[in-house]
Amino acid sequence: MLARRSLTALAAVGAGAASLLFGTCGPFTDVTADSFCPFVLEIFTLGITTGTSATTYDPTSSVSRLQMATFLSRSVDGVLKRGSRRSVLGQPWTARPESGLGLVTVGLGPNYLQSDGQDVWVSNFSSSTISRVRVSDGKLLETWTGAYGGQGVLVAMWRVFAAGYTNPGSLFRIDPSQPAGAVTTVASTLGGLPFGVAFDGARIWTANSTGSVSIVTPTASIPWTVTTVTTGFNAPWGILFDGSRIWVADHNAGTLLKLDSTGAILQTVTVGEFTTFPVFDGTNIWAPVPVFPLGVAVVRASTGTVLQTLTGNGLNGPSVAAFDGQRVLVTNFDGDSVSLWKAADLSPIGSFSTGAGTRPLGACSDGRGFWVALDFSNQIGQF
Amino acid sequence: MAHVLLVVAALTASVLGGATGVAFGACGPFTDVTDGFFCPFVLEIFTLGITTGTTPTTYDPASTVSRLQMATFLSRTVDRTLQRGNRRSALAQYWTPKTIVLGLTTVGSFPNNVRSDGGDLWVPSRAGFVARVRGSDGRLVETWTAAPFANDAVVALGRILVNSYSNPGPSNLYMIDPSQAAGAVTTVATDLGLASDGITFDGARVWTANQGASVSIVTPAASPPWTTTTVTAGFISPTGAIFDGSNVWVTDYTAGKLFKLDSSGAILTTVTLGAGPAFPAWDGANLWVPLNGAASVAVVRASNGTVLATLTGNGLTLANSAAFDGERVLVTNYSDNKLSLWKAADLSPIGSVGTGPGTAPAGVCSDGVNFWITYNFSGQLARF
Repeated sequence: MLARRSLTALAAVGAGAASLLFGTCGPFTDVTADSFCPFVLEIFTLGITTGTSATTYDPTSSVSRLQMATFLSRSVDGVLKRGSRRSVLGQPWTARPESGLGLVTVGLGPNYLQSDGQDVWVSNFSSSTISRVRVSDGKLLETWTGAYGGQGVLVAMWRVFAAGYTNPGSLFRIDPSQPAGAVTTVASTLGGLPFGVAFDGARIWTANSTGSVSIVTPTASIPWTVTTVTTGFNAPWGILFDGSRIWVADHNAGTLLKLDSTGAILQTVTVGEFTTFPVFDGTNIWAPVPVFPLGVAVVRASTGTVLQTLTGNGLNGPSVAAFDGQRVLVTNFDGDSVSLWKAADLSPIGSFSTGAGTRPLGACSDGRGFWVALDFSNQIGQF
Repeated sequence: MAHVLLVVAALTASVLGGATGVAFGACGPFTDVTDGFFCPFVLEIFTLGITTGTTPTTYDPASTVSRLQMATFLSRTVDRTLQRGNRRSALAQYWTPKTIVLGLTTVGSFPNNVRSDGGDLWVPSRAGFVARVRGSDGRLVETWTAAPFANDAVVALGRILVNSYSNPGPSNLYMIDPSQAAGAVTTVATDLGLASDGITFDGARVWTANQGASVSIVTPAASPPWTTTTVTAGFISPTGAIFDGSNVWVTDYTAGKLFKLDSSGAILTTVTLGAGPAFPAWDGANLWVPLNGAASVAVVRASNGTVLATLTGNGLTLANSAAFDGERVLVTNYSDNKLSLWKAADLSPIGSVGTGPGTAPAGVCSDGVNFWITYNFSGQLARF
């Protein structure tokens, strides 16, 4: 049993807003001005509690698990909202570049993209280039050439990497501190037709759509060492690292596969037909499922449990998911739109058009908002 | 245009449907949460992994919470919130590097410390320069000169303020205006104490810990020279300096102590630690003090000066400098070429990483995404 007074983060939920009538402790007449008052005032100010009435806090009552859920949920929301760069920059909106402002023309057929925090790196499949766009003002800074069949982009080890959709597959590297030029091919013996790229802190992993996963070990000289694993894979597309394990989205099998450090499958989670490119939000994996059940499967990474498959919210050919610390964005390739959810409670925020015929595909966050690659209009845009 | 998209488009057009993945009760998986007002909150802490329920299908909504249970819930709440709120999550960088193969910038001889302005890194070198490195890609963008014995820096007042480890002294304070073209630094004070080592800022004044038995307090002015007050009472060899939002703290290497100072530099609190307290970090609640002579790190509660723990192992040898990135604390081990990493919220070790022979990792800071470490012997700046 826990007395309310001794649990500063918890307080009863109930009556509506307090007025500016101040009692012993802010609006509360029943909290004596002792050492607990500052904590009570803080959670009142933050909106974590409203008190049991406009003027009472009921400090000695205990807290039920139901009430606790409310306080903790509001605590997470309040802290994330205040701590986000969007809040600090006074940008609480979701940008919708429908007017054409906020769009940057890059190469031909921009597929996927990733941010290093200051710039966004975009793989342009049809022009075999990689574009560098400055986040702060959307200026196209550089174009790197020779990235044949550029697909998934990774920023790691102070370098930018991209998978080359060739058979056998390739891995390209850019040193962003050097003047733009041709990319460096560090490996050309990956499994066939790779899409996604991930990093585990030491090695680069690629998901190869012809039925394998390649593990690339960086070395001082080129080519880098490649190990390709085929057992159990049908058509890996997306890939991510959750801080402990690599996960692969097997498109044809409709599964998420958790791998050990050798690429062997530890766990299989069925998410739905033709799953594509998932994202990890720190707790859960969001796996777009473009066919059946059309939606986004949310999977607890620690257990592999499917918490829920989200539907509606404008989903139409969901392709690539991204996470910005608070929200998950999914591109709808077929629907020329993006769908957003609040990641903490899976509630829909809404869907937004990217413009007719734009075919949004890749998505990433720059730590503030989202960037989306518009495959058919050769642009990227901020959301 | 990628081949993949055509496949998606074709298949999507063929089948539609909607379903959920697991058995759902009245409120998500919970059959006993029936109050619609509370359900979203319960679902949120379930989604975040703060609660798992009392069983897979029950939450036991009416029970009260013990202090022990509360500790679990609050601990998970803090962890989840910090994890989601940091920039590494938004950039999908969930890894901890296991090696540092790439990510090295050559900055010049003997880089001593490193500080971030949020975009760029500033690296003072006792060889007499201050390097500026771009955070996004590690490019060396500027080298500022005329800074003999440049030692440490603090980013404050829109400027980069650098002290000099001058021995024999006195030491200097240099200023860089980062909006100007690189050139010679401006010397704003020449009367800091002997062998000025650590530097910090309290919102108005610059403080330096001088190994020559003093602490200097410098008041900025419109034009140089800035006014310096140097305090000696109670100090043997001040080394590190840090401001916790209320007070300046300095480590005293020879005395093996940590001092909390008042606004005039007088010692308010003395915390006895161990051999060789060096360059500390502040994590918002606690001070992490590397003990250079005791192969350990002391964690001190700033509010009352209590030593919460003295951490050992995890690669600690000649612990030198500490930095905090919002979730983790990194400590450099100078002579043993290692970095040691902890989760700051519960003091649990994450692991240690070698930096390579002949590197001598010295200073460290965070830019909010990565740690940056100076390699004193190899003249490099590393990103971790």
